[in-house]
Amino acid sequence: MSWYRNRVERDLTRWQTAGWVSDQGASAIRTDLRSRQSPFGAAPIFAVLGAVLFGFAVMSFVAAHWTGMSKLARLGLLLATLWGCYGAAAVLFQRQLAAFAHAAVLGGIAVYGASIMLIAQMYHMEGSPPDAVLMWALGALLAAVLARSNPALAATFVLLVVWTWWERSLTHGPHWSFLPAWAAAAGVAVWLGWRPSLHLAALSLVAWLEPLGYFILDHHAHWIIVAIGAAVAIAAAVAGPAIDRHIQASAALFAYGLAVAFVGLYVMQFLDRYSIFGSQQYSESIQRLLLLAVFTLAILLAGMFWALAHDNRGALWLAYAAFAIEIFTLYVRTFGTLLNTSLFFLVAATIVSLLAWAAYRLHQRKTPPQEAAV
Amino acid sequence: MNSSRKILLALAIIALAQTAVLAGIVIDRVRLLQSGREIVLPIIPVDPRDLFRGEYVRLSYSVGSVPSRLLEGPKPGRNDAFYVVLEKAADGAWQPVKVSAAMPAETSPDRVVLKGRALHEWMQSPTARQLVRYGIESYFVPEGQGKRLEDLAREKKLAARIAVDGRGNAAIKGLIIDGVVQYEEPLL
Repeated sequence: MSWYRNRVERDLTRWQTAGWVSDQGASAIRTDLRSRQSPFGAAPIFAVLGAVLFGFAVMSFVAAHWTGMSKLARLGLLLATLWGCYGAAAVLFQRQLAAFAHAAVLGGIAVYGASIMLIAQMYHMEGSPPDAVLMWALGALLAAVLARSNPALAATFVLLVVWTWWERSLTHGPHWSFLPAWAAAAGVAVWLGWRPSLHLAALSLVAWLEPLGYFILDHHAHWIIVAIGAAVAIAAAVAGPAIDRHIQASAALFAYGLAVAFVGLYVMQFLDRYSIFGSQQYSESIQRLLLLAVFTLAILLAGMFWALAHDNRGALWLAYAAFAIEIFTLYVRTFGTLLNTSLFFLVAATIVSLLAWAAYRLHQRKTPPQEAAV
Repeated sequence: MNSSRKILLALAIIALAQTAVLAGIVIDRVRLLQSGREIVLPIIPVDPRDLFRGEYVRLSYSVGSVPSRLLEGPKPGRNDAFYVVLEKAADGAWQPVKVSAAMPAETSPDRVVLKGRALHEWMQSPTARQLVRYGIESYFVPEGQGKRLEDLAREKKLAARIAVDGRGNAAIKGLIIDGVVQYEEPLL
């Protein structure tokens, strides 16, 4: 948050000299800024990092398979560490050191997961490894709910993604059972209302959704993902104000929808070539690729314009990045086959120049010169 | 209840719930090892390797490869559990005789049911063999001992003592090298 404070400080000095903000007002603003606690201070970050490293320490301890101790002693040691973590969290909560307390909770979750692995190792269990990850994720979710712990919730989302990817790698199925588990965690995210965990909720859903096309219908059904992403983006654009009355999310939803649609299109064009080419002739397949590429670029340009017009910075940068990735991949893939290098650059340059000009016009319309003069 | 009491209670519930889950796994295993029926299956330890969980030896069983034609009823999906019925032959070796998606009722003392999973699609051809995993394919060894087991396997006959419960779950009780129990697994 200090970047924000620095920025306000800079502007404040400017506004004060211009006489728009009284000295009294300026000092009141400064006091308010100082009193606000930064959610991303160095101490909590180091505490959480410490907890994660602690988890790794426990896991490598497990990996060493310490034979000097009996199974009972090993179990006792693990449970003592588990209770030690939550005990430490209790003490820290009572001393009002919430950030450190949450790090201790995270440590407890790490020890819990390591214990599952150790017990499996002690008894030479194999079973289905993703089930163990799900068990771990549910333990983390429970901690997130009861201790109202955002780091624990973040860990839950990460574990859910590991679970679904592992499960899919074994079953090659769509893994629908991810959805109820995700919905439970997402519900907790809404309830806790911490912005980063809402993003993690969205990202973990995207991680499940994006490869879904490989597992349903003819196993090349990426167009469904594109349709879902586009529908989300359009819904966020059309019903933006209505959504924002409940939860300030339409801008983020638009960006996620755009990203999902783009990745789906990217998979269709460059990764899962069968999805558009099938058994087509080469020349025909190149035509299809180009059609799809034009469609992709059009969607990205539309996204950029919408983002510019509605000051959606996240979506704008995302669209810029996607545009660059699309152009670059297209260049690499078609180089030497269809498009002459210089012709390609000419086309790309023309598009981007037009884009710059359009953006400039849009910017001018939005901020008339007399207001922008400051 | 004030908030500091509340958080204490919450943390205690988390710790208790997680402890209960871990204890549940251990109790389940101990029960299986203690009361499960014991069978002995020949093994070949292959390629010891280091993974996140430590050093272990991959145990390959002759019953880990099942003729596809033994399947009765619907095909199990990838990674779905199904049941393999083993029968004791005259020479004392266990052979797979039947595979089914549902748990079969087998009462004969010469038969035992194992729960397995297939990593690949079930093949229909009459000559095909299906690779089946019973959850007893990993044997964790102290660091540096995987190689020793692998060397032993070259000149000696290895077998695993397996406990099987009424639901088809299997667990490794120990390893037998040339008829002598070498690696004995304590319950706790």
